[in-house]
Amino acid sequence: MARPYPRTVSKTWWLKRWPYRIFMLRELSAVFVAAYVVLLLVLVTKVHDGASAFEGYLDTLQSPVFIGFHVVALLFVMLHAVTWFQAMPKGLPIRRGEERVPPAAIIGASYAGWLVVSVVVAAIFLL
Amino acid sequence: MTDATVTEQTVTLEVARYRPEQDERPTFQRVEVPYRPEWVVLDALNYLKDEVDGTLSYRWSCRMGICGSCGMMVNGVPKLTCAAFLRDYYPGPIRVEPLANFPVERDLVIVLDDFMGKLQAVKPWIIRDVERPLEEGEYRQTPAQRANFEQYSMCINCMLCYAACPVYETNEEFIGPAALALAARYNLDSRDQGNRLRNEVVWADDGIWDCTFVGECSTVCPKHVDPAGAIQQAKVESTIGWFQSLVMPFGGKSAKE
Amino acid sequence: MRRSNEPLFWSLFSAGGVVAALLVPVLIVLTGFVVPAEEIEFDRLNDIFTNVLVRIVLFGLASLTFFHWAHRFRHTLVDIGLKPLALPIAVVSYLTALAGTVWAATVAFG
Repeated sequence: MARPYPRTVSKTWWLKRWPYRIFMLRELSAVFVAAYVVLLLVLVTKVHDGASAFEGYLDTLQSPVFIGFHVVALLFVMLHAVTWFQAMPKGLPIRRGEERVPPAAIIGASYAGWLVVSVVVAAIFLL
Repeated sequence: MTDATVTEQTVTLEVARYRPEQDERPTFQRVEVPYRPEWVVLDALNYLKDEVDGTLSYRWSCRMGICGSCGMMVNGVPKLTCAAFLRDYYPGPIRVEPLANFPVERDLVIVLDDFMGKLQAVKPWIIRDVERPLEEGEYRQTPAQRANFEQYSMCINCMLCYAACPVYETNEEFIGPAALALAARYNLDSRDQGNRLRNEVVWADDGIWDCTFVGECSTVCPKHVDPAGAIQQAKVESTIGWFQSLVMPFGGKSAKE
Repeated sequence: MRRSNEPLFWSLFSAGGVVAALLVPVLIVLTGFVVPAEEIEFDRLNDIFTNVLVRIVLFGLASLTFFHWAHRFRHTLVDIGLKPLALPIAVVSYLTALAGTVWAATVAFG
């Protein structure tokens, strides 16, 4: 007598194992990235509005809540960046004849590009 | 070998049992089995069936990681039980369950009809527009052309990737990792001309586009097939195809054709 | 086959993922920590944010990261079991990203 026990579906699968928890945090990073970009656009608005508007917004940016948010957002976007670059060879494998370019080389090139962009952006603001 | 005077080390197995004629739902059976560092979980199950309880049902065949039939959940992670050593779980207890995300036929045996259907859906064979007559010889291939798909031909249909995939768990319509990797194996084969047919399934919403790249399919794969990579590459290819068809709505063949 | 429209949203998601990974970490350090430490003068910021190239990059960054968010948000809700609501979730997510894009345009080019 066949009476299969139906497949079980959990709504909390993402709590069960570390790979799933990290996946969930990775997906959640997008919320923090978008929220940060909203703050960035607010900052740009204030700067466009003039020095006094910017000075007023500085007080907000200096509050512990905003500093705290930026710390958390930085952690999340780092998780995003690292998982993103580590996954580069999955989506864009490069072949030379029979050989695959080692995934580590593609990942390394991604990190190098990240470093260059970061230095250029920092230089624009600071130098 | 074993010294009878030495107290024998044991390890506790918690084996999922489901006997449809008597059980409403799966339960766990706790059993002590001898601990041998060179034993795998499958050896412990065989000991259990031979020496303790002959009613236990489970699938296995080659016990050398190529038949793909002894996949089970070991402490919540999909494993080939012929490759999961007791020593990596000692002192236990070791919980052995049927592969997740499938209905349970009995004990550790799952119903794999859904998987079989999905394998067929991607037409995993070489498709030609017109078969070449036999006297014209075989379809030849360079080593580089072969290397292009070889990794995806290593799949042993063990279904560990389906058990590891939360997208398949929450959405049974998803065609799933192994079937999509198998589709890549034929789509990337220089002798094949079936991309267009295959991609009706592969490029659909319940094909590659359900995948959110959790990536565990590739982590648990005992043959390093990397279904997650196959799916990501198919997303790139499908996206290129989508934009091409915007530019050239009345034609535009895939790159291989 | 009913053609999937995912390639459109996935390419926006992917482009957003790339710009977020490349630009956002350094920008958070700069505008989240260095600016509040008053290490960058107003005049400097004003010069930067009124530069035409910066305006274009800012608009692209904002729009793409909003679509990146929308895509991940939408699929994650489906992954945790809201498949029956998949369509309304998708519509609301992408419309939010679109509204954010319009706002970003008014800020960047305003």
